Amino acid sequence: MSDIDIVESLKRDLGAKALEVANPDRRRIFVKVAPADLIAAVTLLRDKYDCAYLATITGLDKGETLEILYHFASTAASLTVRTEVPRTAPRLASICPVIPGAIFYEREIQEMFGIAVEGIPDPRRLNLPDDWPEDQHPLRKDWKHVRPAEVIPGGKS
Amino acid sequence: MSFKIPIGPQHPALKEPISLRMTVDGEVITDADLRLGYNHRGVEKLAEDKTWIQNIYLTERICGICSHSHASCYVQAVEKLMEIVPPRRGLYIRYLVSELERVHSHLLWLGVAGHEAGFDSFFMYTWRDREIVMDLLEMISGNRVHYAINTIGGVRRDIDEGQKAKILEGVATLRKRSEYYFAIGANEPSFVARIAGVGLLSKEQAVSLCAVGPVARASGVARDVRKEDPYAVYDELDFEICTAASCDVLGRVVVRVKELLESYKMIEQMVRNLPDGDIAVKAPRKAKPGEALARYEAPRGENTHFVKSNGSDRPERLKVRAPTLANYPATIEMLKKGFIADIPLIFAAIDPCICCAERAVTLVDARNGAESIVLMSELRRRALGRAKNAPVKGNAVWPF
Repeated sequence: MSDIDIVESLKRDLGAKALEVANPDRRRIFVKVAPADLIAAVTLLRDKYDCAYLATITGLDKGETLEILYHFASTAASLTVRTEVPRTAPRLASICPVIPGAIFYEREIQEMFGIAVEGIPDPRRLNLPDDWPEDQHPLRKDWKHVRPAEVIPGGKS
Repeated sequence: MSFKIPIGPQHPALKEPISLRMTVDGEVITDADLRLGYNHRGVEKLAEDKTWIQNIYLTERICGICSHSHASCYVQAVEKLMEIVPPRRGLYIRYLVSELERVHSHLLWLGVAGHEAGFDSFFMYTWRDREIVMDLLEMISGNRVHYAINTIGGVRRDIDEGQKAKILEGVATLRKRSEYYFAIGANEPSFVARIAGVGLLSKEQAVSLCAVGPVARASGVARDVRKEDPYAVYDELDFEICTAASCDVLGRVVVRVKELLESYKMIEQMVRNLPDGDIAVKAPRKAKPGEALARYEAPRGENTHFVKSNGSDRPERLKVRAPTLANYPATIEMLKKGFIADIPLIFAAIDPCICCAERAVTLVDARNGAESIVLMSELRRRALGRAKNAPVKGNAVWPF
């Protein structure tokens, strides 16, 4: 299938659920859906577009909203499903029931952007240490690293 | 009686120190749990403070073995954002280095696999031969590890006729030797029997857990970005996707061996058909607002970089997905129902090299929490002991 066929077919299958379908480059297709339609869109991609392979999940901090991109790939194209959640109530459904391999990426999104992934099979942290404060999310734009003051035992000579 | 065995997290030779906690029932692993983050360097956050050019050198330092993979994947994305097309000679040199890197990585891995299976002469031969390709890489780029050959819009160093002849000569030697060792493998039934049937991962599991690279291909999933999404020069080259159907460590060895031979083929094609012309075009300092997704087949599997630009001289966001992370969910499945003695082999087979040096393993008794320290050498002794006691599988065949 060519890119144009995939775009047309996606528009047909998703109907009003597809808020935006873009084809910025050869073999790169971006579909925007509402958070409520995420599971339906991912299931459709897996079953009809041969996209059982999830490359990764990217989070973007856009100020008022947080955007999450699910990068899928099939032999025909790289399809990305994007969805936006408000910064004040960042909640999202887990896609693990559809794509079990998403677990590590969802754990990463949870801790790095502070998005609550509902129904995630394993909600533990992935990369951050256990004593990391609950409300700090390093990949958000307003998070700045403050280097702790250097303490030299015995003081500087 | 159920035990928990933690392995890790600290390991000097590992790019990503991880902690692995396995629940065992006797010698059989019933569950495995991974903990990451011991070496998290915040590269994605750091990249937002660096310019487009500085980030090439940052991404190159994500990994020591496949350093060129991350840098190439990153420049592929940035070249798309800046809408520049590198000259064909530059692209040929870039992907020539890619294939040489794949050869060095696979030879390194084959050595580790031989070592873990107790076939140390295989390890010594492959690592000796790896020096040939390391010397070629040093000749082309000036470095053995971080080649620093990529720039936005092409490459930084040209190659001349003398270097071309040396590459062809080196590859001819490597091919001859590789074929000889692989023929030896066929006459070594204990090696084949040790790795056959270990670390099973079915095709369905490989698909649903999103495994990548040789791990997925050894389970019969013919997924290779070089064919699926042929970037730059790969649609001009003649090569095949290497797969195996045995779904075990033997399959992963076979896939990497086949890939070595395919890489030799590609290197020769690229050197012989090297186009004339410039090696790089000048890149702008800033990129237009936009986003780009680049995919690259690294030796361990697919690399994915997503870059978003806001119109300035540095990225708004750089997302990096390294292949080893994609293979962790599959590794947990491979370890389940395996033996403690197979841990080094299974772990080596996804190529994170967690067990390539001496390290301590702690055995935790689940009932009273008492811990006993077992050295990696003891674990390896158990592994070798199992190799001696394992019945030679009459139906396991070396495919060369």
